Amino acid sequence: MVILEASKISKTYGNKLNRQEVLRALDLQVKKGEFVSIMGASGSGKTTLLNVLSSIDRVSQGAIEIEGQNLNQLKEKQLAEFRKQHLGFIFQDYNLLDTLTVKENILLPLSVQKVKKKVADDRFNAVAAELGILDIQNKYPNEISGGQKQRTSAARAFIHEPSIIFADEPTGALDSKAASDLLNKLSDLNIKRNTSIVMVTHDPLAASFSERVVFIKDGQIYTQLNKGDQTRNEFFSDIIKTQGVLGGVQYDA
Amino acid sequence: MTLNQLIFRNFKKNFKHYYVYIFALVFSVGLYFSFVTLQFDPAMDETKGTLKGAAAMKAGSVLLIAIVAVFLLYANSLFIKRRGKEIGLFQLIGMTKGTVFRILSFENLLLYIVSLLMGVLLGFSMSRLLMMILFNVTGIEDVATLHFSFAALTQTLIVFAAIYVLILLMNFIYIKRQSILALFRSTSVAQERVQRMSWFQIVIGISGLLLIGLGYYLSSILFSKVLMMQQLFLLMIAILASVIIGTYLFYKGSVSFLFQLVRRRKGGYLNVRDVLSLTSIMFRMKSNSLLLTIITSLSALAIGLLSLSYISYYSAEKSVEQSIPADFSIAKDENIPEFTDELQKEGIAYEIDKIALQTLQADITGAVSFGSGADNPFAELAEETEMTVISDRDVPSIKVGENEVYFMNRMTLLDSFLKFQTNGEVIFSGKEGTYPLLLKSISEETVLPTRISSGFPIAVVSQNLYEEMSRDLDPSLEPEFTQYTGIHIKDRSQVKQADEIFRETELRVWAGNESKYEEFTKQKQNMGMILFIVGFLGLAFLVTSGCIIYFKQMDESEDEKPNYTILRKLGFTQNDLLQGVQLKQLFNFGIPLVVGLCHSYFAVKSGWFLFGTEMVTPMLIVMLIYTVLYSIFGVLSVLNYKRVIKDAL
Repeated sequence: MVILEASKISKTYGNKLNRQEVLRALDLQVKKGEFVSIMGASGSGKTTLLNVLSSIDRVSQGAIEIEGQNLNQLKEKQLAEFRKQHLGFIFQDYNLLDTLTVKENILLPLSVQKVKKKVADDRFNAVAAELGILDIQNKYPNEISGGQKQRTSAARAFIHEPSIIFADEPTGALDSKAASDLLNKLSDLNIKRNTSIVMVTHDPLAASFSERVVFIKDGQIYTQLNKGDQTRNEFFSDIIKTQGVLGGVQYDA
Repeated sequence: MTLNQLIFRNFKKNFKHYYVYIFALVFSVGLYFSFVTLQFDPAMDETKGTLKGAAAMKAGSVLLIAIVAVFLLYANSLFIKRRGKEIGLFQLIGMTKGTVFRILSFENLLLYIVSLLMGVLLGFSMSRLLMMILFNVTGIEDVATLHFSFAALTQTLIVFAAIYVLILLMNFIYIKRQSILALFRSTSVAQERVQRMSWFQIVIGISGLLLIGLGYYLSSILFSKVLMMQQLFLLMIAILASVIIGTYLFYKGSVSFLFQLVRRRKGGYLNVRDVLSLTSIMFRMKSNSLLLTIITSLSALAIGLLSLSYISYYSAEKSVEQSIPADFSIAKDENIPEFTDELQKEGIAYEIDKIALQTLQADITGAVSFGSGADNPFAELAEETEMTVISDRDVPSIKVGENEVYFMNRMTLLDSFLKFQTNGEVIFSGKEGTYPLLLKSISEETVLPTRISSGFPIAVVSQNLYEEMSRDLDPSLEPEFTQYTGIHIKDRSQVKQADEIFRETELRVWAGNESKYEEFTKQKQNMGMILFIVGFLGLAFLVTSGCIIYFKQMDESEDEKPNYTILRKLGFTQNDLLQGVQLKQLFNFGIPLVVGLCHSYFAVKSGWFLFGTEMVTPMLIVMLIYTVLYSIFGVLSVLNYKRVIKDAL
């Protein structure tokens, strides 16, 4: 079942004289429960793609449907409502509220839905336990490490059981240990909860945790890799090869 | 790039961030300059000369300097905090703290020069307007013309140079103290951790409330005891201290405590409104409680002063009415024709009221209760006090029985020192006989002018008794007045003309001869001048406190902008966010206002009778106007937040 369908989406910045095409008639499908990575060199349009997919930005042309809902037809307010209900976010710089404790940050998306406090607590305990942040629930973001912050951010993305989660370079600010920890947890949750994840990354290791990697170049899909039955390591070297062909940096695997 | 180029580039680039600071500067300079211009203007000599306004003006200007200095220092502290990163960066690339300090000082100097120029222009035009208002409230008929005063300019320059030095000093200390690391660290460190609900906090909160209560209690007994000037002063200081410290503890303890209680109860399950109001306020509670205390004290002071001066102005007419019943009072018979002949010549119709007075010794202990115990000096006096006695024949409104006495001319001011009780016994004594009488009633109705009754009630007895007493007068008492004549002008439009005649007769050099019209004009000028100065200061307080909160909120809104971005990305609408922000503004602006109003109410209540005869109406008017003007800043702040939220995504 397709949960996200982007067809012929284009995004241009600037005016008529000085036009910059960031996305050019790009097509993308994400199935229910799929974990997709988007890779590409700097300036290839990854983040723009994520922004338009996640309704934070609007496309210039083309259509995006999430769960059968065409995002173009929604007004600003409805878009916000849609994000609140159906989407989850994980950002590179965590985007936690400094004024709230870890628990308060995580429960934030639930407060708008009429979820009973008891249910909210149960859900919190479940997701926090899975991500291993139960013991820091009463701390403030400036008192915990980057990895813990990102796991908090992930917990916030999962708590309201969205149909799709967008992650923008979630491991960008983490060391490799913390990054693998996080990615392991993400793919666990992805399987357990059957929540789709779309992750933008430039880190091949991070991408190797997903089932499919979409390479973008100059605003178009350059190629795609499917993990299939490969092991993570095999998939990882595949990704590196493709990245080399794409003109990125050569890795010595 | 040389240092100078760097400074200029920085200045140009940062100009749009400076506007708050520049506004603060221009406003302060304008305020101060206009005030000083008024002070130095020759046209003010008239008000100054007649009203001893110079001293009041001077006191006002000192107070104004204090307000302006606090205000600018605060604006500067926000300003320099905003630029923490930049300062850190300069140091990181190898500038010494001294160089950074020089850059900042030079920048400040540029800002100062620009704002001084603008402020002086603004102040000059403002003072013209103020002059017109001043003439209007004091009733001086003159055209408001103003000369640009160089003396005023010099004084303004000196004052602001001094403040500039203060700011430099502050910046110097700031730069000296900060390490590069601290400058780079974002301002996101919580100022106060959410603690376990500690007993300590509860104790602090409760002691804050107790201190406020103590201050209120002391203020209510302030004038009911008769105290020496020294004690009075000490008591006032004690009241101020206990209320201000109490307010601080109240904010620090009770408010945080209540908030924590609410937050704990929510168990982490906060909605977006809580996030933007509750947690945001708690996050900054430490700096907030100090700021809120300052704002509260400023507001209370301003409202209190404004109320008191408006009470005086408002009751000027009434109090003159109370102290001088007739249009003209003349004490001695032989002086009357001097005035009435002239009146007749001019064809002004009038009526004459004549009242004969005699003075007896009276023991009023049986009819009086004192504000406080035996240490009241009135207690001794009460046994042997001289009272003016008149016959009920001269007071058509009442009929006094044989063994009765009525008191009239009661002054509300006296109430706080001693209270009369009806049906008490008053014993008059003449040379030989004593006359124990029953006090039937005490009325505020004014029969004799205050100048003649000396502010003490007068006794009205029956005509028979009056005659009996008059045969038994104690010759050792030598009353200043034995008679009073009141002259009423029949046609109200001729009162002013009659007053001019009265002045020409030079009757008024003698004690007891008074013109109500003249007294009223004098009062109005006096009160008008005070009202003007206090109003000016009150306005300065208002704008300053409003601006301080507004700046603070602006600062917070910048700090919280990333939060708004996150929340909007998560799917909260601008409206959701705005609701939370409005709640926060309600707290930030509302709490100090409400507490300030409460403080000023008690302050006014404790001593309003020294200023006038009517408390409620003028006080409510002042409070209402203050609240409305103050709310403008709240609305502006919400608008600012609205813009920030809109820009956040």
